[in-house]
Parts: sequence; C-alpha cells; structure tokens
Amino acid sequence: MRLADIAQVIRSKNAGPRRLTLDLMFASDAEYQRVAQSPALGPARIAALYRVAPEDVTVIPYPVGRAIKIVLARKIMAGDPGDFDVYGAQQHAPLLGVEI
Amino acid sequence: MSASGRVLDALRRSRRPMRLVGASGQLGYGIPTPAFEAALARQPDLIGADMGSIDIGPTYLGKGDMATAPAATRRDLRKLLLGARKLDVPLVIGSAGSAGAEPHLNATLAIVREIARAEGLHFRLGVLRADMPRPLLLDALRAGKVRGLDGMPDLTEDEIAHAAQIVGQMGMGPFRRALAEDIDVLIAGRACDTAIFASLPTMLGYPTGLAVHMAKIIECASLCCLPGGRDCILAELDDNDFVLESMNPQRRATPVSVAAHSMYEQADPFTVYEPEGKLDLSAAQYAAVDDRRTRVSGARWEVSSDPCVKLEGARKIGERAVLLSGAADPRFIAHHREILAAVSEVVRDLVCEDSPLDYTLRFRVYGVDGVRMAAPADEPPPGEVFVMGECIAPTAERAAEVVRTCKQYLLHHGYPGRLSTAGNLAFPFTPPEVSLGPAYRFNVYHLLHTPDPDALFPLEVELL
Repeated sequence: MRLADIAQVIRSKNAGPRRLTLDLMFASDAEYQRVAQSPALGPARIAALYRVAPEDVTVIPYPVGRAIKIVLARKIMAGDPGDFDVYGAQQHAPLLGVEI
Repeated sequence: MSASGRVLDALRRSRRPMRLVGASGQLGYGIPTPAFEAALARQPDLIGADMGSIDIGPTYLGKGDMATAPAATRRDLRKLLLGARKLDVPLVIGSAGSAGAEPHLNATLAIVREIARAEGLHFRLGVLRADMPRPLLLDALRAGKVRGLDGMPDLTEDEIAHAAQIVGQMGMGPFRRALAEDIDVLIAGRACDTAIFASLPTMLGYPTGLAVHMAKIIECASLCCLPGGRDCILAELDDNDFVLESMNPQRRATPVSVAAHSMYEQADPFTVYEPEGKLDLSAAQYAAVDDRRTRVSGARWEVSSDPCVKLEGARKIGERAVLLSGAADPRFIAHHREILAAVSEVVRDLVCEDSPLDYTLRFRVYGVDGVRMAAPADEPPPGEVFVMGECIAPTAERAAEVVRTCKQYLLHHGYPGRLSTAGNLAFPFTPPEVSLGPAYRFNVYHLLHTPDPDALFPLEVELL
C-alpha cells in the first residue's frame, strides 16, 4: 500500500532555513503503528529517495501526535541562489508513492 | 494605569485562570471578524499576534520590506487596536513588519500612529527594537561567542560589515521589562513567537513550561484545530494546565490535532529551544474537555545556564531579473538540457564581449525538475514545460540585458531535429522579462552567546 493511501497528512516545511521537516500524520493508532514499524522509512531509504547522505536524515516517531517526523538537511539554504522551494512546502512529493 | 499594569494588578490581587487570545499567526493576511468578536466577548487578559517569520526568505529582511500588503496590514492592526483598547487589555505584537528589523518596525509603528490619530485612540505604546549593533557583534565574534546554526559556516567580519540588516530574536525578558512599564500596546521587532504570549503569564507566576507550550500553539491562531484555520484561538492558562478553544465554532481543538501541531515547523517535536531555556514536551499530555476543547499539561521548562540569541542577517547579492516562458515541443523538451547549456554560452559570448562575466544565469524547467530536490530520472516526459530563466547581476540593467538576450536566443535556438523553426517558446504575455529588484541571501544565521540577552533589545515608550 502506498503511503499516500494510508496517511492523513504528508507535508514538508522548513525547520529554519537550513533544514527541512517532513511530517506524516495518521488517522488511527493502527495506521500509525503500521507505518512506524515499516522498514520503508528508515534513514537509508529516505536518504536514497532525496539523494542526501544518510547521516543528514533523522526519523523521529511521535506517537502522541500519531505522527512521524523526518528531518533533512537542505542542500541549498532557503532563499540562496539556486533554491527552488523557499518555504520547503513541496518537498513531500517523493514520499507519496513509498510502499509500506 | 495602563493595560499591562491593570491586568497584572488584577490577577495579583485575585488569581484565576488567565485568558489569552492568539489573534493571528501572520498579521496582515486577514483576521476573521466573527471569531475575533467572539474572542473579545470572552474578556481576555491579553491579545497577541505574530507578524513575522524567517520562512519568507532573505529579501524582505535585507530590503526592509513587509511581505503583507499595506492596506491589509492596516486593516488587521486597526481591528486589534480597537478591540484591545475597548477592553483595556494589553495588545502584544511580535516580529513587526514581517522580518522585525528597523525599517519593518518603523513602517508598522507609522501605521499604528496613523490609526491612533484617525480613531482618536490614546495609549502608552511600548517599542522593542531588535537590531544588533555591529561593534557588539564584532566583539562577540572575536571572543568566540558566535556559532553557526544547523551547519551554517562560521560568521566573518566581512559578513557582519556587508549585511543589510542583522536582527536578534528576543525572548521573554525584554517583553517582561516592557510589560512592567505599564504599557497598553507593545510592538516588538524580531521576537520569538512564544514571548508574545508567555511573558505576561510568567510575570504572574504561571508555570513557564505551560506558558511557553501554550504560546507555541496559540501563536498560529486556530492552525492546531480540525480543520486548521486562521481564526482567533483562546487559551485558558492555570497552574496545572491550559485549555484551548477556537473562536470559530467550526474548528475543533482535539488532543491529536493539538499534539500534532507541536511538531509544526520544528525539527524536534519534544524540545523547543528558546533564548532563556528549553521547553521539554516529552511528558506533555493532551486530553479532550469536550469535542471542541483540549486540555494540555505536562510541559516542563529548563532554564539555560548559557543564554543565547538567534541572529538573522541578509546580504545583498545583486539585482534579479527573470524570463517567463513555456514550451510544448516534445523534441525541445527532450533536449532541453543541451539547449539551455548551448544558449547560456551564446548569451555569455554576446554580453561578455566587452564586459566581465559578472552574473549568474540559471534555468528551472517546471514539469521536469523545477520543484523537487531530487526528481527521479525515469519519469515520462511532460507534454508541456514552463521554463524560467533567472539572472542575478551587479545592476538591474545588466540583469535585464542578460535575460533579454537569453529570451531572443532561446526563442530561436536551432538544435538537431528541430521542426518548429519559427520559435521555441510560448510567452504568456510580453514583455516576458521581469526585473524583480535586489536579491539577498541569509548571511547570518547564528547563535550569539551572551550573559545578558535582554540588554540587546532597548525599550522605548511613546504616548499616543
């Protein structure tokens, strides 16, 4: 099943101008558990998806919010020449098709 | 007595849960009137609004411009000023004018004075400035008291000297000092959004952890609700917890929606770093009061032994001009990388015939890889693309010269297999070249370690 068919929210945004945070939120504890326990969202997989180094990826489960947070280092600081998404609000797209 | 003195006095004499209204997460984009009126009817002890963010990028900070439209900003400020003065409660606004540096704060104050004159309002206005003196920063840099945030390169004297603006993000201390001076309306330059709401309650002894957690949520108005939105939110803060309620009856603050909001725009959902300490949310609990209200408890505050201030600065990097165009030819789309590289060379040879290579020219091809940081290489080609050329050059004239030349040669560039010999581009309008004004980049994003952060943010009091 694709992540886009399980999650209630899949979003991205800057966490400061040098980092990107990807938030996954779920409507039920069961769906949250299913994704949280899946190897599909390990740092190495995320790093490959976004073509960054695995050490620049942090995955934080947040059960009280039925959410998973992924934090990435931005390759280009927000607003620097060559930036393509100043707010970082459209970097969630690669996650949509991840198979759980 | 003015509003802050009156509220402090009343709550010291007769302690009860304190009511705080988060009126807007971004003042200047509209404050829905029905929810604001509903909030006023609840007799709040403070009305607060955040007006800025670093998210909007470096150009507003560097250039000194507001992101919001002047008329919309005036409408929101007028609504808040009239409401707060009617109830005689403090109005607190942080990060004035989008980025909170001197030009942003001054522009905001000019609107506030104009509204006061037009409406016949008289009040004590407190102003907290956030501009960082350069000599102080140079001394701190030489003393090793400045460090980069999230991998930002070390600050240099050159960057300090060339920044158009450098602000510090003030915490609760300066707000408390201002509110202790009997203030009706407090307008601050660049500030932590939490300080807008947490300063007054912590002066009254409400627990700092709860006050800061509450502030972190209500600074976004009703964004923590289902469905999230920009209507005002009310928090009732007591010694053991706070209760959240949107002032729009359609919006529900549920335990999960509120908990989820704590992770918004944060790298760590359990810890929020502030100048004076850190908020620990690992034991936070969220419980439904009813289907529209949630009670929050458990946040802890840890005072820092090494207070620091976040610095933000922007430096001008040139003048920006762009070319806006589209294409629908499959061969052009298939070969766009080679075509754009070849045209860039043609342009360079022409505009650098008698001038140095003093500009950058970039393209983004929307439909292919204009948006994503890592677009997969195996996607089928799109039927249409949007092609944006962007030049940054030392002068506006030079940037315009580059994009105008680029437009002509990209339009008529011949490439192997080309069928569309009358032109490669579709322009939605002409001229398709647009001068966007000065471009900036963040050149300061650092922490300044200082034993007395409050001293960096001077207070002015003005009688209107």
